[in-house]
Amino acid sequence: MTKKEVIKMVLDGKKPPYVPWDCKFTIEALEKMKKHYGEDVDVEELVGNHFIKLGQSSGFKTDIGKDRKIDIFGTVWDMSLEKDIGNVEGLVLPEPTLEGYEFPDPENPILYAGIEEKIAANKDKFVLYSIGFSLFERYWCLRGMENAFMDFMMYPDFVKDTLRKIADFNIAVIKNVCERYPEVDGIYFGDDWGAQKKLLMGKEVWMEFLYPELKRMYANTKSFGKYQLIHSCGDIAEIIPELIEAGVNSINPFQPEVLDVDELMNTYKGKVTFHGGLSTQKTLPYGSVEDVQKETKHLLELGKDGGYIFCPSHATEGDTPIENIVAFIDLILAQKR
Amino acid sequence: MEKLFEQLAYCIEFGKINKQSPYPPNMKDQEGAGELTGQLLDQGVSADDILQKALIVGMERVGVKFRENKVFVPQVLMSAKAMDAAMIQLKPHFANNPGSQKGTFIIGTVEGDLHDIGKNLVSMMVEGNGYEVIDLGTNVKAEVFIEAAEKNPKAVIGLSALLTTTMNNMEKITIAIKKHNKNTTVCVGGAPVNQEFCERIGADNYSPDPQGTVEFLNRTVA
Repeated sequence: MTKKEVIKMVLDGKKPPYVPWDCKFTIEALEKMKKHYGEDVDVEELVGNHFIKLGQSSGFKTDIGKDRKIDIFGTVWDMSLEKDIGNVEGLVLPEPTLEGYEFPDPENPILYAGIEEKIAANKDKFVLYSIGFSLFERYWCLRGMENAFMDFMMYPDFVKDTLRKIADFNIAVIKNVCERYPEVDGIYFGDDWGAQKKLLMGKEVWMEFLYPELKRMYANTKSFGKYQLIHSCGDIAEIIPELIEAGVNSINPFQPEVLDVDELMNTYKGKVTFHGGLSTQKTLPYGSVEDVQKETKHLLELGKDGGYIFCPSHATEGDTPIENIVAFIDLILAQKR
Repeated sequence: MEKLFEQLAYCIEFGKINKQSPYPPNMKDQEGAGELTGQLLDQGVSADDILQKALIVGMERVGVKFRENKVFVPQVLMSAKAMDAAMIQLKPHFANNPGSQKGTFIIGTVEGDLHDIGKNLVSMMVEGNGYEVIDLGTNVKAEVFIEAAEKNPKAVIGLSALLTTTMNNMEKITIAIKKHNKNTTVCVGGAPVNQEFCERIGADNYSPDPQGTVEFLNRTVA
């Protein structure tokens, strides 16, 4: 059975032969792994992830020097401290108007660069096209975070118009991807809405502003017969029914510090798959090897009948001791031995 | 007068900045925090009374509602904007009478971390509750906190971090601050921070929400 088939079984609510996984690592964590496993280690091969992700999870960026990158929406990213995603610098839209602003062209070749090669090299994997910063995050990258939150209150029509245009761009990209690359199995939407407790903007605002565009994007993906997997950090428990209603198949990163992993797995069994669950805020950086093993085994047990894809609840960070990284990798790989 | 204080507190609580502001929709064309503060000053009410009897009252209600998940980041930011519209008129009066504020709070996001929304929310809420806030920004090194504390000897320091990777710098900075002056009070906060971590690194207070920091300051400083 291929990795693609195992993931499809899980997303279709069937019992898989083992719990599949897809784990990511930050640059700092990868450096630790190279020290441990050897400089020439191929981490993807070592870990044996089940997804191959096309597109970009944090946007399409070009180096402009001095530790800065610019993405196709015109946002400048300071890469000096946070080297994986970066931090937004300045405002693309200092005022609540789109006058003079041009959205990127969905035909831009950068959006589709290297796709054929990646698909050809990963035929056994579940193929995802990643659209990172897919709605709210794209909005605040353009307007700045505080402006973005206040815009909901002050300029609701502008927010709705801009979100609609962001979604239109994504829908055009999804259409191109689905028509040009039939091997793509699903779309992976990233957009952080959650805080440590509840949603950053509250459910009422999420329902009024974000949900209509999310439904439109997800319906579009479904119309091509593709799966849709989403990522939102934080406590998003209160909107899981709406996400399922909109056709979401999988929810990542399933943060155990803010979500009740056991309860949610039981409540939504057969309705949605959870992807994540291993604590990156507590267990991985601060726990012992035994703590990591215990939590990993518990998750693999919870997911043995389906509805679950294992991974740490974020890309594993550089503050995780290498022994803890090795501990969960050994356990997930041992399932297939 | 009491009615005007309550109206102003209501504007802070519900984020009504001024008459022109379209938010909240149910207060369209009504006077906001800016106009009401002006009226109170015109009537000879002291800046301190306006702060204590209206602004702090409104901001405290917002802080409690935020903690109870009854309002969220957008509403808190609108309240902070309304507060700004009032404070800009009060600050010249405080400049002549520095004793009228409850104390000083120095805040910054720790070295290595550029995230600022959490820090800003705490900063707004503390300022809105009657403290002078010195915001050192993001990616702040220990020596910058220490220098600010030297200039403001009675100030409490607040350290913010969003990431587990940068949270470790809180420990380094807390130790440096305490080594320089063991009597300096240090508060910590941020998504991955908790009480256990606060105690382990020798900080004095952890709050999961801005109102908790305000309450700690009210207990220990004011």
